[in-house]
Amino acid sequence: MAVPANRYACSKAILGEDLFNKVQNSRVLVVGAGGIGCELIKNMVMTGFGGSSTGSIEVLDLDTIDLSNLNRQFLFQKQHVKRPKAVVARETALKFNPHVNITALHRNIKDAEFSVDYFKSFDFVLNALDNLDARRHVNKMCLAASVPSIESGTSGYVGQVQPIKKDVTECFDCQPKPVPKTFAVCTIRSTPSTAHHCIAWAKSYLFPQLFGTDDDAEEQELNDAEKNGENADEIQELRKEAAAIKELRATLVQEGAAKRVFDKVYTTDIHRLLKMEDMWRHRKPPHPLSFEQLETWALQQPAPAVNGEAEKPQGIKDQRKLSLEDSFELFLSSVDRLSKRIDPSSPLSFDKDDDDTLDFVVAAANLRASAFDIESQTRFQVKEYAGNIIPAIATTNAIVAGVLVNQSLHLLRTSTWPLAKMVWLSRGSHKVFSLSSLPTPNPHCSVCRVVYLPIKLREDITLGEFVKKVVGGEVGFEDHVTVSLGSKMLWETEDFEDNEEKTMSELGFKEGAFVTVVDDDDHYPVEFSIG
Amino acid sequence: MSGICLMRLQEERKQWRKDHPFGFWARPQKKDDGLDLMNWDVGIPGKEGTIWADGVYKLQMIFPEDYPSKPPKCKFTPPLFHPNVYPSGTVCLSILNEEKAWKPAITVKQILLGVQELLSDPNPDDPAQLEAYQLYKKDKTAYNEKIKKQAKENMQK
Repeated sequence: MAVPANRYACSKAILGEDLFNKVQNSRVLVVGAGGIGCELIKNMVMTGFGGSSTGSIEVLDLDTIDLSNLNRQFLFQKQHVKRPKAVVARETALKFNPHVNITALHRNIKDAEFSVDYFKSFDFVLNALDNLDARRHVNKMCLAASVPSIESGTSGYVGQVQPIKKDVTECFDCQPKPVPKTFAVCTIRSTPSTAHHCIAWAKSYLFPQLFGTDDDAEEQELNDAEKNGENADEIQELRKEAAAIKELRATLVQEGAAKRVFDKVYTTDIHRLLKMEDMWRHRKPPHPLSFEQLETWALQQPAPAVNGEAEKPQGIKDQRKLSLEDSFELFLSSVDRLSKRIDPSSPLSFDKDDDDTLDFVVAAANLRASAFDIESQTRFQVKEYAGNIIPAIATTNAIVAGVLVNQSLHLLRTSTWPLAKMVWLSRGSHKVFSLSSLPTPNPHCSVCRVVYLPIKLREDITLGEFVKKVVGGEVGFEDHVTVSLGSKMLWETEDFEDNEEKTMSELGFKEGAFVTVVDDDDHYPVEFSIG
Repeated sequence: MSGICLMRLQEERKQWRKDHPFGFWARPQKKDDGLDLMNWDVGIPGKEGTIWADGVYKLQMIFPEDYPSKPPKCKFTPPLFHPNVYPSGTVCLSILNEEKAWKPAITVKQILLGVQELLSDPNPDDPAQLEAYQLYKKDKTAYNEKIKKQAKENMQK
């Protein structure tokens, strides 16, 4: 099909002949065809990327389309639900512009086949990912392959775009990334002070204890302790504690389960906490809840009217404030519903879209909040927090995808990137964008201040030979070295040389893996990518 | 698994090998044919001149994937009789608490010295097990006896 003469007239006019040719001839990998990815792919095919016989766009995404994506991922429609995102994104984009080379892969970018050599086959990589793990992986692969990449992300109204080039700019991991907070055991189990602590307790402690995977680790630990001649009385005490929950769990299917759970966690356990007086010297002490009291109240309530009109409280169910009594009733009903679903061969797990599990967490968290005089949360608030929902806004994604293309033009213009910038999209300030020039690499970065070397390993090379000939001989690390594969350390000079005679392949060093070598002096670590 | 976490653990191991406090030990746990950097076996001696002195207490350090943004979990195996140790063996200490005093710059050495300090100097404001806490508050003599007995049971052979 011939390209209509005026197809790229605008692009050419704006970019100039030279830059437009570079755009058409470049080979680009787009990782992610979700919120940002859809916008990005649309922009790219309209600009002219993949428009010549040498240029191409490769789109990769492991996900399939979900109904909840359709409000912002405009390349997808209702009939596409459950189909691979990458494939549908390509199909739809080809309707906008049928004259581009675009390939789609419904795969995981972390698969071994996407090796350093694979990354090397692109001129640059555009990241439109939604999770830290994959971002870190692509960052590392691009560094190892010395291929430039542009990283992007959005959250609600804010977003950012960051061009990255090994040894020239900061990499994705040069600055520490904020990680979602987790709470200490002490806070969760004994001294909650916010509604979030209560939700975490209900979701990650109480729920799994009652309905989740049956964890025998604690019992095993106690058995071992006893065998080792530990104090018998003490073990007995610990056993009692573990047994109490076990027993509750075992009798969940019997009559009165909700009351037994309630009495243990909201009455007995709170009394137990109160006995540790010092803990409450500087904190507001909790107060135990009474099942009987709440039950009496519940019994006094008029039965729901048949037409339900007059009794219905105002507003949307998910956004209503829950009173202590509301939570109590929800607790009873959700324990009842969950108990009916108990199946020893498949433990339940929390899912924000599973009403029974969500109701239980809402109720259990709010009852605990009440015992600790913490404000209750609506069902919506609990869902948002317990389900880690990050708000995604179509407009933000569209703006960031536009900036991604803009920055890739800067990359293509010259190899020195004089115009490339770090771009922040913020809300509330007088400027929509804030720009900064690209910072130089953090000298202590443990990801980009690493020497990446490609290596081919002989089938029968032993770890001992590798350490002696390659690490000692070629690299020149002479004294004490360690060799690891991911989190597994396989060699530590003097202290751990058990694997000297084993072959590298036997130890798991396979194609696509990285061999990390660190020495005792302050040399940069070396990562060999096995090809 | 992030490179940041692994490089830092390699660095911690390197520094520990070069220099560590007397009587302590800390090394990645053996797993299959290698050493697992995410899981360390540790021994903490009781402080000289305290009722804890005779024992060396075994502890497991479990590093999360977000280390060092998040602190490692320290767990006595078997669980220890101590006001700030949970029945499961997990240590409750401010420098191990992300919401309190944990900072990514805190080293393995500093953590282990901190836990040693906690043994002989418990913090009654943050009790983690009722039994040890009550005995510590109500009957110091019995508490001391119990700790001494525990120390004997944990003597290094």
